[in-house]
Amino acid sequence: MKKGFWKRFGKRVAVVALAAGATFTLAACSSSGSSSSSGGKTKITILQGKVENNKQFKQIAKQYEKTHKNVTIEVTSIGGGTDYDPVLKTRISSGNSPTIFSLAGPADVKQFKAYEADLSNTKTAKAAQPGVLSAVKSDGKTVGLPFNVEGYGFVYNKKVFEKAGIDPQSLTTVDKLQAAVQQLDAQKDQLGIKGVFALPGKEAWIMSDHLLNLYLAQDYNGNAQTLYKSKSMKFSKNADMKTMLDLQKKYSIKPVMQMDYSAQVNQYFSQGKTAMIQQGDWIYPTVEGIDKTFAQNDIGMIPIPVPGEEGKLPVGTSLYWAVNKRKDAKEQKAAKDFLDWLYTSKEGKKAVVNKLHYVPAYKGYDNLKMSDPLTSVVYDYEQKGQTTGWAFPGYTGTAWDPDVAQPNLQKYLSGKQSWDKTVKNMTDGWAKQQNK
Amino acid sequence: MMKNRSLSFWLFLTPTLVALALVVFIPVLEGLFYSFTNWDGLTYTKMVGFQNYIQLFHDKAFINAFWFTVGFVIVTVILLNVIGLGLALLVTQKFKGSNFLRTVFFMPNMIGGLILGFIWQFIFTQGFSALGNALHMSWLQNWLTNETTGFWGLVIVTVWQMAGYIMIIYIAYLQNIPNEVIEAAEIDGASAWQRFTKITFPMIAPAFTVCMFLTLSNGFKIYDQNLSLTNGGPYHSTQMLAMDIVNTAYNSSNFALSEAKAMIFFVIVAAISLLQVLYNRKREVDL
Repeated sequence: MKKGFWKRFGKRVAVVALAAGATFTLAACSSSGSSSSSGGKTKITILQGKVENNKQFKQIAKQYEKTHKNVTIEVTSIGGGTDYDPVLKTRISSGNSPTIFSLAGPADVKQFKAYEADLSNTKTAKAAQPGVLSAVKSDGKTVGLPFNVEGYGFVYNKKVFEKAGIDPQSLTTVDKLQAAVQQLDAQKDQLGIKGVFALPGKEAWIMSDHLLNLYLAQDYNGNAQTLYKSKSMKFSKNADMKTMLDLQKKYSIKPVMQMDYSAQVNQYFSQGKTAMIQQGDWIYPTVEGIDKTFAQNDIGMIPIPVPGEEGKLPVGTSLYWAVNKRKDAKEQKAAKDFLDWLYTSKEGKKAVVNKLHYVPAYKGYDNLKMSDPLTSVVYDYEQKGQTTGWAFPGYTGTAWDPDVAQPNLQKYLSGKQSWDKTVKNMTDGWAKQQNK
Repeated sequence: MMKNRSLSFWLFLTPTLVALALVVFIPVLEGLFYSFTNWDGLTYTKMVGFQNYIQLFHDKAFINAFWFTVGFVIVTVILLNVIGLGLALLVTQKFKGSNFLRTVFFMPNMIGGLILGFIWQFIFTQGFSALGNALHMSWLQNWLTNETTGFWGLVIVTVWQMAGYIMIIYIAYLQNIPNEVIEAAEIDGASAWQRFTKITFPMIAPAFTVCMFLTLSNGFKIYDQNLSLTNGGPYHSTQMLAMDIVNTAYNSSNFALSEAKAMIFFVIVAAISLLQVLYNRKREVDL
């Protein structure tokens, strides 16, 4: 029986190994593609990180192919931040690198430096609004072109505020916000909400990227590049961040640590269960998908009041286009032409605003109207020049964000760690990473 | 033994060997090499010797993940084998519906770990809290928001999913026990408990070895349930070894360190699993 057992045991192991092997082989096959130019046509491949716009980019590519007969475009989209880089790396190391790819910030710019073509002389770069290119300068050259600009703040439910008799636009200071929040909380039941805020404690990035940025950016003039290169972190406004985080936590729908993005946006906000959430204009399509009339008529956005920066909306770019320098000159030119067409031609601009719902990072869009209430808020603040910068892309690509900032903020939020310790761990962690 | 094997033996084996080499052996060797470099997933600029290995022993997240995983493995191995064997004993009794019950118990195993994790996440957060409200039991509230409930959540899902599989293996061996042995013991006056401990259990020792191996290595390697149920949160407290390795590579872009962790992980899992097999094999009895 013993021998029989070993045979069977061996067989079982082999079967498992085989099954695993087959899965891997399949996975490997499905990720391969082709990128050759044939028949006089130039083929450009795009690998981009805004998966929510996959459909729109494919439509835009088709539209471009119609008027530019000698170019074919293949669009591949990979979902959300952390998944993108490994795929791009895999494509590059397997000799199947895309012509156009996307960069998330200074850390990516450094990482993929050997592949970034100089885009300084493109029409698009020249049309860029002041400041939007600062995070993608490499040796004085522009290597990335912003997809768009985005803004975040408190996205609020107009009806709830109307019923409570509060004008959201008047909540310009922390004190005024606090008073309004207390008032809303007292009338929770009459207003039909479960909580004033919905703070998703599970989504650490909502705190570590967006909220933290408000209080960290001031030390770095809102410049991601400056933050990325800094050896130390002062975080001088940390007490203000504590106030805002505590406020959101105290008046949020509970339990905070169980809430994720979809609970915050889909389950609570879109169904009118909360007065406001800390989010950005990118949630519009999600809200619209759940309740179109609510999305079109009943939502708005106000800046999060930050002492010293009241009335300013944090506006920035989360992704940039880059062109692969290792491709032949013809393919590179076709890629640049496509990007120029998208952001500076008449049809391209229309697609950017109406199809992609983007707030443009470029000049020359004056006669186009933003297509939804959240992007128009961002656009208005941008036009008025009442914005602050995004410094957080200076750390989102580094290990400090997932390994230090996020767990420490979550520890504080769960009551496992004091704020002082949290701040100390974060600033120490940054210094350690930057001085390695 | 080898000389008895004909050319056709190797011919039939080649496709498997080639597949294994391509997807297992070569990547492992490549990974071993990269673990001594400063590879970032794209290029490496220098060899760093054992620096990655030294660093990982100072890596709090890795150490945490290690002990969390060890605790998880101990609990799930015990629970899975006890429950798996219990279910097997139950459905090998002769009663109506035992075949139906086998199917029911095995069913969770047909659902993928990811989907299962999401379903259970809903049960833990919504179902448990509703139940807790109705019964006024506060320990049913706030599941998955801290390390303890995250741990037991993972244990429950894993045991629920895998117990049926373990059951099937035990059933196979239970049915192989010759009836006359049991009958002889019965005639000699052995009680039900004596029959189980002195006859049944020693007879199914080979099954025990297989099940221990499967539950041990599965416990160490678990990833998808971890990802969909807690995603390592809150604050990485429920992050298991496999997830820490993936996150080191993909979130922190530290591919070389991640390879070093994976090598250590491989050695640990292989050593524990094989030692266990060697030890348990000695306990097996022949008829």
